[in-house]
Amino acid sequence: MNCEWVQQNTALYLYDELADDARHELEQHIRRCQDCAAELAAQQDFQAQMNALPVEEPSASFLAAARMRLQEALETAQQNRAWYHRLAFDPMAWMRQVRFSPALAMVIFIVGFGGGLGAMYSVKGPATATAPPVEASIGGITSIEKEPGTDNVKVQYDKRMPASVQGSASDPKVQDLLLYAAKSNENSGVRLNSVDVLTSKADDPRVRETLTYALRYDSNPGVRLMALDGLGSYVKQDIRVRNAVLESLLNDSNLGVRSGALHALEPVRADSSVRMALQQLSKEDPSEYIRTESKRVLASMPNIY
Amino acid sequence: MVGQAQSRMNDTELIREAQRGNHAAFEELVRQYDGAVLRLAYHLTRSEQDAQDIYQEAFLKAYRNIGNFRFECSFYTWIYRIVTNLCLDLLRKRQVRKEDSGVTTDSEGGTYDLLDQVADQRSGASPERDLMRRELAANIAKALKKLTPRERMVFELKHYQGLKLRTIGEILNTTEETAKNTLFRGTQKLRAALKSVR
Repeated sequence: MNCEWVQQNTALYLYDELADDARHELEQHIRRCQDCAAELAAQQDFQAQMNALPVEEPSASFLAAARMRLQEALETAQQNRAWYHRLAFDPMAWMRQVRFSPALAMVIFIVGFGGGLGAMYSVKGPATATAPPVEASIGGITSIEKEPGTDNVKVQYDKRMPASVQGSASDPKVQDLLLYAAKSNENSGVRLNSVDVLTSKADDPRVRETLTYALRYDSNPGVRLMALDGLGSYVKQDIRVRNAVLESLLNDSNLGVRSGALHALEPVRADSSVRMALQQLSKEDPSEYIRTESKRVLASMPNIY
Repeated sequence: MVGQAQSRMNDTELIREAQRGNHAAFEELVRQYDGAVLRLAYHLTRSEQDAQDIYQEAFLKAYRNIGNFRFECSFYTWIYRIVTNLCLDLLRKRQVRKEDSGVTTDSEGGTYDLLDQVADQRSGASPERDLMRRELAANIAKALKKLTPRERMVFELKHYQGLKLRTIGEILNTTEETAKNTLFRGTQKLRAALKSVR
């Protein structure tokens, strides 16, 4: 085994991709060869550096949003498929086969599926006989692209399709919607109702992640209080919940939320960050209530040496 | 009840059911893989919008073509093949348009710097360490741009997603040896790029 081979395979060694015998020989070689040992160390350092861009699991609401969008598109695709099967003639297959004469004045391609997917119109020439989309059904225009040097325009838009689902809050479909609503809905009443239902499912880490998000970022103090209510039991066992509650105590603009956070942290007896925060608050907080309560909670905590 | 029964089926049975038009079976298949698909798409593209688009297109393609799946490879490989091809298309498009800034758009159109993800959120974290981490992440993002789309894809699948090189070869319709060589070239480029910014 020579140095060139070893240096070309240090990455594979670190990724555990070498066969057992090759791994053994590489290890033996590195024990004897300083240059190759240095190369191994450099490769290790490089791989550690690359982890500064960590891979994160998609958040619950991100995944829920993606699933919802896909669900809408699949339902439309399923309907279209059923519709095509009822016809003796498949227009999409026909369009693939027919060759259009270049003398044709206009061609319209409708690609994709409605309901949640963008629909694309590529129009060459005058507008078509197909009815334009009804304004009330358009969710929003997402992009307009003009093809340079031509009259072609691609308009991508979303369509709204009201729908409902009913079932247990443990049903994954229902839960995905609740997680999405808790983070993304414009209506604070809807967010409040979502968080209310989700508090009973806080044993699920995905749900806790969404409740933590609501506690940190929701603009409505009622929603933040509701989320805090659901998270309170997890302050001791889940460090991310504890951090979020501590941040609320320190930074929330609403005294009721801060007070709730303070009481939620009472069972935490051994966290030095909590203790330090309480010490600071007991001396410097502008609210007398927070100062008094912080002192009381500190007094009940055992000393940590 | 039906959902619970579906979850006990293995992939083969689910695929066959999905091929017969059983929508619940297809949805169960989606749920087995969609977290991993979104994770890959998001880490590679650094854009919530692009990641969602890739996710959507990948599973719609799977839905449209599941009838053509002949069990010549695992469903896992098949899905990953669809996703990686979509990711490669996007990387090539970005290369042509010289896109790929550090600013990302979320699915609601808001922008934020992905490097904020690298920050240590715990209260009391050191600002100096945080700044160093962000600078390193910025250098890494720049270095990754120097790779070809294929090199980047192989590096992403190996280093960040932890796939075996043999699987990567299958996904990219090539050999394990070719995947190894691509990984080696990509790694050398990245190391050189990171060295030059120190």
